[in-house]
Amino acid sequence: MTQSNGAKAVIELERVTKSYVVGGTEVIALNDVTLSIMEGEFVSVLGPSGSGKTTLLNTIGALDSPTSGTVTVDGDDISKSSRKALFEFRRRSVSFVFQSFNLFPGLTALENVQFGVDVSGRKDKADAREVLSKVGLGERVDHFPHELSGGEQQRVAIARALATGNPIVLADEPTGELDFVTGAQILVLLQEQAAEGKVVIVVTHNREISRITDRVIQLSSGRIASDGPPAEGRAKISDLAW
Amino acid sequence: MISIGTWLKWSLRDLKARWVQVAAIALIIAIGTGTYAGLSSTTRWRVASNETSFGMTNMHDLRVRLGKAAYVPRGSLIAALNEVVQDGTVLAAEERLIVQSQVSVETKDGPIIVPGRIIGVDLSDGGPHVDSLFTRNGRPLDAGDTAELVAMIEGNFGKFYDLEPEGALTLSGYWPMDYVGHALAPEYFLVMTEEGGMLAQENFAAVFTSLETAMALAAAVDSVNDLVVKLTDGVDAEPIAKALQEQVRDLGGTVLEKLDDPSYRVMTEDVEGDQLFYDILAAAIFAGAVFAAFNLIGRVVESQRHEIGVAMALGVLPRVIAMRPIMFGLQIAVLGVVFGIGVGAGLGKVMGDVLEDFVPLPFWEAPFQFDLFVGVALLGLVLPLIAIAYPVWRAVRVTPVEAIRTGHLAARGGGLAKLFKNVPLPGSTVLQMPFRNLVRAPRRTVLTSLGIAAIISILVLIMGMVDSFFDVLDRSEKEALGDSPDRVAVDLDTIYRLGGTTVEGVSRSPALADAEPALQLSGVLINDETEIDIFLTFTDFESTLWTPTVVEGAVDPQTPGVLIARRAAEDLGLSVGDMVTLRHPIATDYGKFAMLDSQVPVMGIHANPYRFYAYMDVGQTGMTRMGPVANVVYGQSAPGVSEFELKSQLMSVGGVGSVRSLAASTRALRDLMDQFISMLWVMEGAVLLLALLIAYNAASINMDERAREHATMMAFGIPVGAVLRNAAIESALLGLIATVFGLVGGYVLLERLLATAMTEVMPDLGMDIAISPVTLATASVAGVLAVAIAPLLSYRKLRRMDLPSTLRVME
Repeated sequence: MTQSNGAKAVIELERVTKSYVVGGTEVIALNDVTLSIMEGEFVSVLGPSGSGKTTLLNTIGALDSPTSGTVTVDGDDISKSSRKALFEFRRRSVSFVFQSFNLFPGLTALENVQFGVDVSGRKDKADAREVLSKVGLGERVDHFPHELSGGEQQRVAIARALATGNPIVLADEPTGELDFVTGAQILVLLQEQAAEGKVVIVVTHNREISRITDRVIQLSSGRIASDGPPAEGRAKISDLAW
Repeated sequence: MISIGTWLKWSLRDLKARWVQVAAIALIIAIGTGTYAGLSSTTRWRVASNETSFGMTNMHDLRVRLGKAAYVPRGSLIAALNEVVQDGTVLAAEERLIVQSQVSVETKDGPIIVPGRIIGVDLSDGGPHVDSLFTRNGRPLDAGDTAELVAMIEGNFGKFYDLEPEGALTLSGYWPMDYVGHALAPEYFLVMTEEGGMLAQENFAAVFTSLETAMALAAAVDSVNDLVVKLTDGVDAEPIAKALQEQVRDLGGTVLEKLDDPSYRVMTEDVEGDQLFYDILAAAIFAGAVFAAFNLIGRVVESQRHEIGVAMALGVLPRVIAMRPIMFGLQIAVLGVVFGIGVGAGLGKVMGDVLEDFVPLPFWEAPFQFDLFVGVALLGLVLPLIAIAYPVWRAVRVTPVEAIRTGHLAARGGGLAKLFKNVPLPGSTVLQMPFRNLVRAPRRTVLTSLGIAAIISILVLIMGMVDSFFDVLDRSEKEALGDSPDRVAVDLDTIYRLGGTTVEGVSRSPALADAEPALQLSGVLINDETEIDIFLTFTDFESTLWTPTVVEGAVDPQTPGVLIARRAAEDLGLSVGDMVTLRHPIATDYGKFAMLDSQVPVMGIHANPYRFYAYMDVGQTGMTRMGPVANVVYGQSAPGVSEFELKSQLMSVGGVGSVRSLAASTRALRDLMDQFISMLWVMEGAVLLLALLIAYNAASINMDERAREHATMMAFGIPVGAVLRNAAIESALLGLIATVFGLVGGYVLLERLLATAMTEVMPDLGMDIAISPVTLATASVAGVLAVAIAPLLSYRKLRRMDLPSTLRVME
């Protein structure tokens, strides 16, 4: 699908349902979700706990597979892909930023970012040191994760995601463990990625964060309750009240 | 207050959640406790059975042995004894006549001829009363057999060839004899020969007959050459031995105490040596179990950190909080001990049966060692508790706020990662991770390595012992055979003049090639207070056929001097060039000998590892006042003549005592050792299983701890195989460290064991540490490969990992 402004749909979900059985009871995490996300879009997924936000993100990132429906990324139906193809997909197409960073504690900041470069296996490899500088950590390259603050760790995590060069960045509560100022710095970084043409999807329960994104998808009980630009228009980061 | 029941239930749930790791540790404890209890049971059985067996056969306390070819009139040795003992100190004393002979007997696989001894004993009044004969099967000898060609055959020899209880045999000189039973005698409970043969039942036959019959066979009318003495309980043998030695010196006799008897010494001292080995074995396995338990419980406590913080915040006392992990540890210990009792009982039964079969004794009992099992069970219970003490103490001493903290704020330090961050490593960051991970958790790396190293060291110890033993056999065989694999020794029944009919008859036998007569005498090397019994061989140092290999010093046929073994030099504190007292026989009259002390220089050290071999040049025989004589002829089978044919032909030559193949005793010992080695393979298998269990445990804990890292790697598209490969590399690195520790540990243990136990058990054996390339390779393969494959067992778990949940876990 191509929009009138020429942007093409990178991610398309068609009637996606995901259900689990927990303690003998079926829980429907995603219920008949259909949506498209265009290239360069900065999307926030909003909703209360248990609304299906993370399941949606994991389904797009091929960490989880839908019970029914199709997930198409860049024209490929990943819901029908083999396990091997899904690993390949994650290496080449998506990069994750986690709430608890999930950095490798045995590797330095630079090595963690280099990991991103190494796994993608791209010919046009990014320079890990350059990417770290880009996120403002040029002076902290040799530090181990436990020697960095929470904000610095999350910036390393973003640098690692960026270093892969993958077109889709999936961030699950990236500011969840951070204070306001640090969280804002992280959002700036993510905003920049979208501006550079990447798809950036941020899962959050914080309505304020959604104000700076291009599009807000609100989930409720696994269904899309609303989908569109922020109600009061796109805000600047400086306008956010945490 | 939370009830004990709640803690118990909770800890049982912890147990269930990690049942595979728990089972692995319980199994390690079970093998440790079971092996120790089972093997230590055999020690008690052996001690009790040995004591009873030696007791019921009235093993001698003192023995007077005359040199080769020396005889004294019957009654002389008893008279000598009576000169030095007071009334009531001697329970019984009996003279014997022991002569060399070939023994030919028909086995199920055809006829055999082996060297042996005719042991003439006093059958009067139900004798022999000292070193008496236990009838294993057939009937005992009695007074009616006196002076008859009737004998009992030694029981181990009979058992080895599965001989009938009664049958016929032929002795040197074609003397036919009927044997009426198989006898177990204390000197041959383990068949050890004077020439250094060990477990020699395949190549040595002792034949017990009446003293009168032996005299007739040896043509030694009314003569004896041996005295065995049983002292009254509580009488000190040593002063009597010293006094008796002076008394029999002029008869050419040597006095031996009970511990000088190789069979008695090996059987009694070996028990202690084996127990030391079991102690080491158990300690190493326990160490492995403790390290493994420490790692697991450390991990369990770490995973409970948050809950511990909550409990502390709720005001629960640290000692109450500690209940849950302590109960967890206790449950592992109980499981291990319960399994261990089963392992111990089973192992004890198997080992008991093997021992009973391998060393048949007149008396053998193997009762269940209840107190031993209780002691070992308590040890098995306490050790895991020691292992959990530190992690539990560490967990409950933090402040609640620290314990409750989650996410990046709870991040732990990086271990030694900082030290190694500038170490350039090859490959991508993914490939570098295993090394980085190891240095990040140095405590766990070291503990896991030590656990595996403890097991590897056992492997090195077991295999190193076998290697060292085979090394002695190899060196001994190489030295004895030189370039002639078929070299034989033809022992003459007494000393004969060179050029006489006997020596010439043997030397010119068409069955024998390259014959070379020599004189071999019993002697003693003395320096300060140390005395070592030796076989002194007068041989031609310029012979083109065989000369001893000199490894230090030099031989000069013109200069008096003795070549001794390195072990003898070490034990006597001698170096080349030092003077040593040599007590040796001298001829005093025809057929009569006395012992004389001569001072001779140590001219060199020879290569034979047996301590009792000593050599002088044939030109020095003058010191014995015997003239040009020989009592042994060395040579080799003539081309096309088999060993059996050679023995058969020489049986007809008058004066031939026995024919020994110099390779036969080591060959037989090798065969026996091979049987042992097949048992050792089982032990090695168990050791490998232990290494695998510890490695699996460590790997499994590792996989749990690294779950989020692995999930992150997979989220970035790294396949399960590559994640597993990294885990295997990390384990292999651990295994490499463990193998290095294990090899060093094994070497140290081997050195200790050889320096202590083996020296006491087999003082005549110059055993050096020898670790073969096979041992090194096996230890390395076990340490590195077995450990490296351990993470592969987690493949299924990794493949089924719930990535989203794992990635969101907040620790």
